[in-house]
Amino acid sequence: MKKINLKVNGVDYSVEIEEDVRLLDVLRNQLRLTGTKEGCGEGECGACTIIMDGVTVNSCMVMAFQAEGKEIITIEGMATKSGLHPIQRAFLEEGAVQCGFCIPGMVLSAKALLDKNLTPNREEIREAISGNLCRCTGYNKIVDAIDKASKYMGKEGDVNGI
Amino acid sequence: MDVNKTYKGVALQEVLTLLQQHENTSKVIAGGTDLIIQLRECKVTPQVLIDVSSLEEIKGIEIIENRVSIGAATTFTQLVNSPFLNNGLEGLKEAAKSVGSPQIRNIATVGGNICNASPAADIIPPLLVLDSELYISDINKSRTISLEKFLIDKGQVDLKTNELLCHIQFNNIKNNQGLGFSKLGLRKSLAIARISVAVWVEVEENTYKQVRIATGACSKLGVREREVEALLLGKPVEEKTMQLGAEALKTQLEKRLAGRKGMEYKREAIQGVFKEALTKATYLSKT
Ligand SMILES: Cc1cc2nc3c(=O)[nH]c(=O)nc-3n(C[C@H](O)[C@H](O)[C@H](O)COP(=O)(O)OP(=O)(O)OC[C@H]3O[C@@H](n4cnc5c(N)ncnc54)[C@H](O)[C@@H]3O)c2cc1C
Ligand code: FES
Ligand code: FES
Repeated sequence: MKKINLKVNGVDYSVEIEEDVRLLDVLRNQLRLTGTKEGCGEGECGACTIIMDGVTVNSCMVMAFQAEGKEIITIEGMATKSGLHPIQRAFLEEGAVQCGFCIPGMVLSAKALLDKNLTPNREEIREAISGNLCRCTGYNKIVDAIDKASKYMGKEGDVNGI
Repeated sequence: MDVNKTYKGVALQEVLTLLQQHENTSKVIAGGTDLIIQLRECKVTPQVLIDVSSLEEIKGIEIIENRVSIGAATTFTQLVNSPFLNNGLEGLKEAAKSVGSPQIRNIATVGGNICNASPAADIIPPLLVLDSELYISDINKSRTISLEKFLIDKGQVDLKTNELLCHIQFNNIKNNQGLGFSKLGLRKSLAIARISVAVWVEVEENTYKQVRIATGACSKLGVREREVEALLLGKPVEEKTMQLGAEALKTQLEKRLAGRKGMEYKREAIQGVFKEALTKATYLSKT
């Protein structure tokens, strides 16, 4: 057992962990943030994507102890009191969600892209979600949604304030 | 998984001390993208994990006089975005860009790719043609060894259990030199290379004054193709030379992979991949 300190969605946590667990396990089983999904458990599918210190990572590919001192954003950290994040809104409006299993990861990959580049072209969007597999949608509507979100976010200006 | 003790290193000396103390029971973890899978499949069974992914001393890229130094814990994303690598080294960035997916590149490290020593490790061929030297330390001493000598066999490297790979260094590229990389993957993202080729050239008066070639996934290791290199030396920059190299590589693969699955495919495919890498390298040496 070991205690680690990390910040998730703006909240400081101090968690007792077993030393052989992954960050994915801590998020889901201990912090009960079950929006982060486990698909393959091997870094291939992106269902477990989170943002850690500003970049996307697969949380199945991070040991929990390695997250000491890190700042993490999960899907639960996207919406605010004033409503859904523009990326989430665009996903709903474009019908980009079918079974939904891949969507938390898709939304976070989209956020990591749009935080750096508010005017991506379709190729850049496809590249940004190239580590997120979806077995339902065929990707086109997801790309449409991210494109739409980029316009929302461009208009609304202050991305972080939303 | 037998892991029951973990350390997150913040200083090099501390990590080297821990490695010494837990010499026979520990494993270094960087990005974890190879190791975590091996741990979960019980292919490796350390009790102690020592994290080096936040170790500033072995992260990042620097130019020291005419040498480029890459910290072993530098991620592929950091390498791709580095302002210190000039155009001639495009092949190195391209190899890094071709690894896995954005999520993998954001944590997977150059040092992990080398120490895991998969035959398909993408950063190995370009580092081989740059004649890279590895800087390795234990608590008492440091040593250097060429990357080529460091790679012993598939998944096997010349590294003791108390040692840490700290830096990778090579001579910076000159104006009349270029490094090209080309890879044939199954699918763009998440493609573990079937085959890849890195070519480094120095061109003078439209002839190849120096040539270095390395292939990935064409042997049990990333390897230098010295026989092909020798053939191209001093030859003019022209289509005929490129064809000569492509055919020689084909012959090499036929010999090396005789009786192995995929030989017929690889010996054909390698020619196109090689031509692309040579064309890029030659172009970069002229711009
Ligand atoms: C989905 C997926 C896709 C992938 N795609 C590719 C691809 O396209 N191309 C490719 O080449 N690879 C690919 N890989 C493999 C892997 O991502 C790379 O080999 C990566 O570079 C490993 O680095 P790491 O930091 O994650 O290593 P780790 O898993 O942390 O470590 C790997 C090994 O190296 C040792 N080690 C690490 N750093 C050091 C050090 N500084 N000193 C001594 N020993 C050290 C560890 O003990 C361990 O044995 C992929 C992996 C996954 C999961
Ligand atoms: S569950 Fe982590 S990438 Fe598939
Ligand atoms: S919506 Fe079902 S996997 Fe993407």
